[in-house]
Amino acid sequence: MIGQAIRSWSRGQWALRLVVLAGPVLATWAAGLTGDPPGRLALGVVVVASLGFAVFPESAVGTIAFATVLLTWGLGSSPSTPPEAVLAAGALVASHVAALVVSYGPDDVPLDRRLTLTWLVRGSALFVVAPVVWLLATGLEGQPEPAGLWVAAVAALAVAGVVATTSLGPRRAT
Amino acid sequence: MTGIPQWRPTAATSRAAVVATAGTLAAVLAGRPTLLVLVAPLVVATALALAGRPRRTPSVRSDFDHHALHEGQGTTSRLVLTDAEDVEQVTRVASREPFVSVRPHGGRVTGLLAAGAVDLEFGPRRWGRRVVGEEVVALTSPWAGFRWGPSTIIGDQVRVLPVGLHYASHAESPQPRGLVGAHRSSRPGSGTEFAGIRAFVPGDRLRRINWRVSARTDRLHVTTTRAEEDSGVLLVVDAIADHGRSGGVGGAESSLDLTVRAAAAVAEHATRQGDRVSLRVLGRSTLQVGYGSGRRHLRRVLGTLASIQPGAAHDGELERLQLRATEGTMVVVLSPMLAEVVATLTATAVRRGLPTLVVDTMPADAEPGLPPEADPLLADLAWRMRRLEREQVLASLATLGCPVVPWRGPGTIDEVTHRLARRARQPHLGSR
Repeated sequence: MIGQAIRSWSRGQWALRLVVLAGPVLATWAAGLTGDPPGRLALGVVVVASLGFAVFPESAVGTIAFATVLLTWGLGSSPSTPPEAVLAAGALVASHVAALVVSYGPDDVPLDRRLTLTWLVRGSALFVVAPVVWLLATGLEGQPEPAGLWVAAVAALAVAGVVATTSLGPRRAT
Repeated sequence: MTGIPQWRPTAATSRAAVVATAGTLAAVLAGRPTLLVLVAPLVVATALALAGRPRRTPSVRSDFDHHALHEGQGTTSRLVLTDAEDVEQVTRVASREPFVSVRPHGGRVTGLLAAGAVDLEFGPRRWGRRVVGEEVVALTSPWAGFRWGPSTIIGDQVRVLPVGLHYASHAESPQPRGLVGAHRSSRPGSGTEFAGIRAFVPGDRLRRINWRVSARTDRLHVTTTRAEEDSGVLLVVDAIADHGRSGGVGGAESSLDLTVRAAAAVAEHATRQGDRVSLRVLGRSTLQVGYGSGRRHLRRVLGTLASIQPGAAHDGELERLQLRATEGTMVVVLSPMLAEVVATLTATAVRRGLPTLVVDTMPADAEPGLPPEADPLLADLAWRMRRLEREQVLASLATLGCPVVPWRGPGTIDEVTHRLARRARQPHLGSR
């Protein structure tokens, strides 16, 4: 069944699925560039999950692959914000957007050129956020933390979480 | 699919939301801004997807440009969306139906609504009842935040008429018996075909006077012409079985394909000539269309041809069947001549003195449809014997004076009709 689905992929689908596969793997590999190479287990999990993500872009394995990448970076010993993080962010965005475009329809639906270009632009715009945050983080490194910063951050996250949950929940049709 | 489709978050939104939340939380709790850099684009993506949350529930249906089709023709299915202000993208996936081609990309399209209509073109490739326009539609909100559907649109059952091949024929009808028409009659009348010159009698039209002959003979003479009459054509279609493989218009033709298309071509030609056409289908259900002429009647005939389904009738229904063809009707039997009952009907018509011809619609490469458990050697032997019997039947019909012509497209029956017309002018005995 999977073989049949794979055979029905167009060239565009193949290209995008390769991006889906390569994104998390590249992001994990970028962690190694900081001098903190990822563990074999983590790398293995990312590769397997990314493979699953490439074949089933709408499944939860994509989340597992991304979460493992975050774990790899989170467990790193580097106290600063390395520039390789921007590369990893770019790889994750590319993988996310490619999976999104691929999952617009069944496996044998050919890609729409205009839709793909739209998402190329959107993906690039999303990626721009990463270097901006990196610049901010690098700029603020070594600065004394204002009192209550982390409490405010946690509170803001909680509010954002509540808003997101409300938004994602079912809504009555109008 | 069950239930009414609703807007639901896409997998991409869920993924981005979970990863962004987990990453941001971990960044804050562990004091690792690096994680914030990693998930920042996904935070923005989630925010944009949520901001575009749809407020209205859309509804979809499809409209066709045409509802009556001939095989080989196509129609465009246009998606009609209502309350679709929140829709950014549309995906349409047409179901694969036998003998229905869908364009583009085999009926699998996706596109931005702002870029224009996402249309599908359906083209039935074979006559008959076809389901056209069955598809699944999914809509997506801006930034692929939410998806509506997939929702199934039930297709329309369309009666696909057999392709009508036009052909010009100058063959006369063997026994025209009507009021007005295009065929030369054996009796004099007000047609255009020259019949002779005779002496003027009271009642003759003055414009018929032949002045040259009148001047030469000192007596009034008139030019006489033959009447022009219409004729009746009875099409007998053998739908007892379908032999061979059908590949739709332009592809391989099965016996029933040949039969139906030939019947459509003859019916169209006869109707154009102003003849009365009747149709009798021999098969699972003995469909019948009475005599009539004109475009509307032709449409009825083609519609009946399109609703043919191969199969044998029950309980000797066909054996009891009578053609009920009146004198002057030309009987055209379109059949692969593998059923005995069709041969018997044809022979009966010939013996009654009706001008009858058989159009042989057996494809040259026809092979029997075998159930999987059938012994291929035995089946091959049976098939060969069946074909030998068929040859015998055709030879017997020819001996009776019934011409048999294989269908080779429009004009096939021209020469045979000429011969039948010549023979009809000769004195003969008919039995009833």
